[in-house]
Amino acid sequence: MSAPATRAKRAAYQAALLLLVPAFIILLGVFVIPMLYIFLMSFQDAKEQFTFDNYILFVKDPYYIGILWRTVKVSLLTVLCCLLLGYPVALFLSKASGKMRGFVTFLIISPHLISVVIRNFGWVVILGDKGWINTILMNLGLIEKPLRLLYNELGVVIGLTDAFIVYMVLSISTSLYAVDSSLFKAAGILGASKWTMFRTITLPLSLPGILAGTTLVFSLSMSAFVTPALMGGTSVKVLPVITYEKIMATLNWPLGAALAFLLLASTVVLVTVFSKLVETKRYKEVFAS
Amino acid sequence: MKIRIPWLGVITTLVCLMVISPFLVIVPVSFTSARYLSFPPQGFSLQWYQKILDRPEFTDAFLFSLQLAAVTAVVATLIGTLAALAIHKYNVPGKGFVTTLLMSPLTVPSIIIGIAALLFFTRIGLGGSFAGLLLAHILIAVPYVVRLTLTGLSSFDYTLERAAYIMGAKPFNVFWDITLPLLRPAILSGLIFSFLTSFDNVTVSLFLVAPDTTTLPLAIFSYMQETLDPLVASISSVVILLSLVFIFLLERVYGLDRLFGTNTQSH
Repeated sequence: MSAPATRAKRAAYQAALLLLVPAFIILLGVFVIPMLYIFLMSFQDAKEQFTFDNYILFVKDPYYIGILWRTVKVSLLTVLCCLLLGYPVALFLSKASGKMRGFVTFLIISPHLISVVIRNFGWVVILGDKGWINTILMNLGLIEKPLRLLYNELGVVIGLTDAFIVYMVLSISTSLYAVDSSLFKAAGILGASKWTMFRTITLPLSLPGILAGTTLVFSLSMSAFVTPALMGGTSVKVLPVITYEKIMATLNWPLGAALAFLLLASTVVLVTVFSKLVETKRYKEVFAS
Repeated sequence: MKIRIPWLGVITTLVCLMVISPFLVIVPVSFTSARYLSFPPQGFSLQWYQKILDRPEFTDAFLFSLQLAAVTAVVATLIGTLAALAIHKYNVPGKGFVTTLLMSPLTVPSIIIGIAALLFFTRIGLGGSFAGLLLAHILIAVPYVVRLTLTGLSSFDYTLERAAYIMGAKPFNVFWDITLPLLRPAILSGLIFSFLTSFDNVTVSLFLVAPDTTTLPLAIFSYMQETLDPLVASISSVVILLSLVFIFLLERVYGLDRLFGTNTQSH
């Protein structure tokens, strides 16, 4: 290569680096360094001495284990609801015409761009003791006292399902759009029933989408703060809510920082274990036959 | 012959109803003439809209949120578009790594980003400042802009730029007359999306607002924990209307499915 060409290339390269500088300043100063800073802080006690106490407390104190279990439980239930309700929607989308598909996708995505606080308020109006559902059921004489639909785990799961189902639907539908329709034709010629086609073609080929949607909804639910705070009230305290209280109310920042990392770590570990389990199972399925 | 129930259609309708039901109740409730949340909403009145104006905490928060979102949108779009251009156009070495790095704030829960920013900013003396809040909002908006612009650039025809250069156009003119117009949909949607990201944010703002200047979603969040009355409904309706304008704009300019189609894949 001639010298001028190399020089021009280097100039372009330098220009590129220059364009990246602002983004990296923000990334470093507002994200990477602060994350490192709170990671170090999570190993400090009140006198800024090195300690593992903040993490040991979490393992030893049944209170925190209980909180973690509740957070995982609520997240798993949310995943289940999103999967059960989201899969049929994704299937519907994959079979729908272009116009219908666009319309339904728009309906499902657009609420996602409006603040979750507002959506939660709507749910409080619907689910509260004097809310729409309870008033209707009581006026119909079906129940005598209001059903408890809010400020418990059920309320949080409803709120989170509403907030995150979009991710499940889009993950699964993306994998369904990619299914080659000639597979169904072939199966039909061979006399397969609708159910057999679903079981042997649609479901296995949508597994990557299910896996993606499941991990995404699970991670989002684990770290959700606003919905548990507004729809769980004081009775459903999940890990993010406790972390918030440690930081903003008790002002125990080292413990709060440790809780933040425990939240992150437990999510990553659970998601990894889950993905590994699914992969091993599929591996066995493929090689057993 | 037995009647076939279109189960998929039924469930899809129910799910669509579920995700829009919060808005279907908020808007009617905001026009109630009652003094409390009741079902069915009674009468028709604009009293709860008038009451917003008597509440400086909400009107101030609204104006503050608008300003914050506008500044965030402009700065994040500028920074994000430049970064995306660098990645796509100049073939930086380690392209994949750079992209992953730029996207990394999306993989960490925003509550943790908020905590990290609060603790670190307090240490360096930016705690409770507008600058700290703005920087954090920019951080969470930039990855979306980068992704939108990268998607926009993937269909970018560089031969047009080359042709302009061969015809003797100056670099600035090439950028202004060719590159920029072709990127307009991506840039515009970056602006709208980062505006909405900032305007809707609660979890990061929660840790960074100063006691006297709060954002609108946060003001609603705090108010809701104390009182539940139709005032929340009327304020929410105003926000819903504003958001809908932006959502339709986004749909026209870019397409919501494209926006989220790329969104889910990188997670």
